[in-house]
Amino acid sequence: MAVSTDLSTNQLDIWVIIDKIKNNFLLRRILKALFTIWVVTTITFFVIRAMPGNPVEIMIQELTAAGVSPDDAKNQAAALLNINLDEPAYMQYLDYLGNVLRGDLGNSYKSRGLKVIDIIAQVLPWTIFSVGLSLLITFSLGIALGALMAYKRDTWIDNLLSNLAATLDAVSPYLIGLLAILLFGVIWKIVPISEMRGALSPGVQPEFSFEFFVDVFHHVKILLLVYVLSSVGSWMLIMKSNTISTLGEDYVTVARARGLPDSRILTAYVGRNATLPLFTRLAITIGFAVGGSVLLETLFTYRGVGYQLARAISERDYPVMQGVFIVITFAVVFANLIADLLYGWLDPRIRIVGGND
Amino acid sequence: MQRLIDTLTRTWRETVKTFKLLSRNKMGMFGFLMTLTIILLSFVGPIIWPPEQSANVADINQGISAKHWLGTDFQGQDNLRKVINGGKDIVTVAFLTGVLATFFGVIIGSFSAFVGGSVDSLLMELVNIWLTIPKFPLLAVTATVVKLNDPVTLSLLIAFLDWPSLARQVRSQVLSLKKRDYIEAATMLDLGTRNIILSELLPNMMSFIMISMIGIMTFAIYQQTSLVFLGIVPYSSANWGVMISAAERRGVLFNQQAMWSILAPMGAIVLFQLALVSFARSLDEVFNPRLRTTV
Amino acid sequence: MNPTLSVQHLSIEYQARRGRVQAIRNVSFDVNKGEAVALIGESGSGKTTLGLGIVQLLPGTAKITQGKAIYHRNGHAIDTLALKGKALREFRWKECAMVFQSALNSLNPVLRIADQFSDTAKAHGYLQGRALADRARDLLSLVRLDPDRVWKSFPHELSGGMRQRVLIALGLLLEPQLLILDEPTTALDILTQRNIMDVLKELRQKLDFSLIFISHDLSLAAELADRVATVYAGKIVEMADVQTTFREPKHPYTIGLINAVPTLKGTREELTSIPGSPPDLIELPTGCKFHPRCPLADAQCKQNEPELEPISPGHQVACWHWKLARESLNKFKA
Repeated sequence: MAVSTDLSTNQLDIWVIIDKIKNNFLLRRILKALFTIWVVTTITFFVIRAMPGNPVEIMIQELTAAGVSPDDAKNQAAALLNINLDEPAYMQYLDYLGNVLRGDLGNSYKSRGLKVIDIIAQVLPWTIFSVGLSLLITFSLGIALGALMAYKRDTWIDNLLSNLAATLDAVSPYLIGLLAILLFGVIWKIVPISEMRGALSPGVQPEFSFEFFVDVFHHVKILLLVYVLSSVGSWMLIMKSNTISTLGEDYVTVARARGLPDSRILTAYVGRNATLPLFTRLAITIGFAVGGSVLLETLFTYRGVGYQLARAISERDYPVMQGVFIVITFAVVFANLIADLLYGWLDPRIRIVGGND
Repeated sequence: MQRLIDTLTRTWRETVKTFKLLSRNKMGMFGFLMTLTIILLSFVGPIIWPPEQSANVADINQGISAKHWLGTDFQGQDNLRKVINGGKDIVTVAFLTGVLATFFGVIIGSFSAFVGGSVDSLLMELVNIWLTIPKFPLLAVTATVVKLNDPVTLSLLIAFLDWPSLARQVRSQVLSLKKRDYIEAATMLDLGTRNIILSELLPNMMSFIMISMIGIMTFAIYQQTSLVFLGIVPYSSANWGVMISAAERRGVLFNQQAMWSILAPMGAIVLFQLALVSFARSLDEVFNPRLRTTV
Repeated sequence: MNPTLSVQHLSIEYQARRGRVQAIRNVSFDVNKGEAVALIGESGSGKTTLGLGIVQLLPGTAKITQGKAIYHRNGHAIDTLALKGKALREFRWKECAMVFQSALNSLNPVLRIADQFSDTAKAHGYLQGRALADRARDLLSLVRLDPDRVWKSFPHELSGGMRQRVLIALGLLLEPQLLILDEPTTALDILTQRNIMDVLKELRQKLDFSLIFISHDLSLAAELADRVATVYAGKIVEMADVQTTFREPKHPYTIGLINAVPTLKGTREELTSIPGSPPDLIELPTGCKFHPRCPLADAQCKQNEPELEPISPGHQVACWHWKLARESLNKFKA
């Protein structure tokens, strides 16, 4: 960042900095991400603390009903939810923010003694694994099939795949999950569903061994399948539409006129240009997958963050709910940031580092 | 007043034209008719076949038979009857959400596109930020503090979360339409922003609006049934989502006979969603010449 | 000496919803070695279709219903319309390069100019690496571009005129015998247009290639072409060397076109245009396709379509009344 050091005043020129920020794609993007996280933590605070019928009041009521004195109840509720009820609202808010920044998300209401951050740390890697892997498969499959559909437009393959994609896209993910369990586990009995509940077989230790990975995969494969099936439809259709547009572009015709081989045209001319706009879709897909994880992990008893959130919701364990929600959003925002930066790097029309804007 | 009548007439004519074109597309007609059928059954059905009051212990968890076309549930009640009665809530919420979200999305989206400039940029940045937040967890968490016993509140909440994505789509649509000549002409004739939006833009966007609304509806169905499934929304009535949730909790999935009490409501939801989506897809094909397969 | 390209009885049709569009009808003409032929006509006359047809880049709805395009080089002759697969790819750009109208979107937006050149070279087993870069940069200088500025940039960093010139340089990379330019300056402003025309003239002097120049702009044709063919409703209606075309045109359409262009000097005459509009290529008029707009039309014109006939060495006309053409010039001004 350029610092304008005027010898006479010797101070940072704030306007130069603001200007630099406005022109630098990377900085802008990071600021937006931080802002989003701030918005989310604030919303969570608002929902948990400020709305009528909010958890704090409920907790106090419950404790008082259980025979705890009003003061003690207040203190206990405050301690659990990590807020100081004697302070004015804005101070509570600042405390809350400070705690979140420090990674202190309070303690679980239901399982006293367990810190929320520890609970999350235990389950988060599982979700990242399942959602991450499924997204990778969805993207690759969606792009490949979408391009295929565009090239083989109007043939039986295109019609079949298009209808399949539209159908998959229309059905809710958890219905797909239920259907998967029904079909694979109960009717066709391909997979031993009851064995597959949970992320690991009992007794298997997490370690970097082959058996571990095999076991993990054994448990997660249907879940992966369901994730992929629920998102791949829209990717295929959008990729098909993008590819058709790109195929109609002048530079593709000119590429053929230049005698370029089909393989080169497919990858560097059609492929890259058709895939780029998909990045805007990435954000939605990531958010959708993470949101869907709440349901699907519950359905498959897969102990990831989604499962944790669902459990916390049904148990009304507010600290855990609050903490998981913030972490989920943080993860999504972060993933989107990476995706945006990747897009900025890949598309020469948007340059990350300063320069032409 | 005359302006309003004109706009309504034009919009009506456009809609009629849409349907005429639509009838050429078999998938679309099927989707449309199926949607109508489901809606009718859900509202008129319960009057003709009211829900059973008591349990028939003798008939618990039966598969398909002549007496019970879709089998029975864990209480011995007929699944088909429950399905007919179970649609009202779902359909109501879907429609309400669709209308509300579309209404706000269209107004704010077209306003933003039309005004342009820094107002537009700001609004869109806000929308983008809003869109990064994962909807369903937010919905679930909010549902714990807000009482969601009636369809209206639920619809409001879901619509509140869903309208921004619609606003963004509407905005880009309006932006592309804005560049067309007749809009420029209207602007130069100084017809006023509100007038232009009402009489020039909207009639031409009807198909797009309809498609978007259907998208919102499909998503709303997903969201509300998910809430029920997770036990966040109370079991106030026996709608399809409740049927699925209740059955799943009783391990019905593992019993080949009993599974119809899950398959039936699932089928209903899937059918409804598919019907909506085929209708929307055919609308899209009709109005998007590039996607058309014939010349 | 065999002509570089000999188009013989070429007919091309498109399938549209209303019916079949007869874009090119039984067209024959030659392009000799080192010669520049201009194809002039209004929008929709079929001239672009002709260019696309030669390199087989017509859209899927088009069909070549008859004809050949015989290409000669070093004593070998091939029909470009019969080429397939690898042979077709080798022919394209190496033997015949077609530079399209409006280069605004003709270059892949995600590749640098250097990569676009190396792609082309690699596809034809041409020079690579340093040798390629040197040659390409020479070509860029030839088209009056600064190689340093252009070589590593992306298409969107260049102006329309610059992109057009890059495309021309790219077209010359493999030293083709035949260059087809389709409206190379139409989308550009006057100054850039001038620039490109000058570049093209220089190139013709320095390098040895045959050129087919497709345009609706007569004045540009006058600058660049050796021979001019006027195209109307998918047919060539007059073909002559450039001097004759402008001094002694014999087809009413050609005359109308020339009259429509204002002259810089001379008396202040009224600008005339040809009344009416180009015919519907699906339902063509009977007889001579120009008769609805022609001041000389009579019953014969309505019934029979005239073919291209030589009326003097190097001058062909398709008109029943070409002898009256000059005298009836004034009728357009009525």
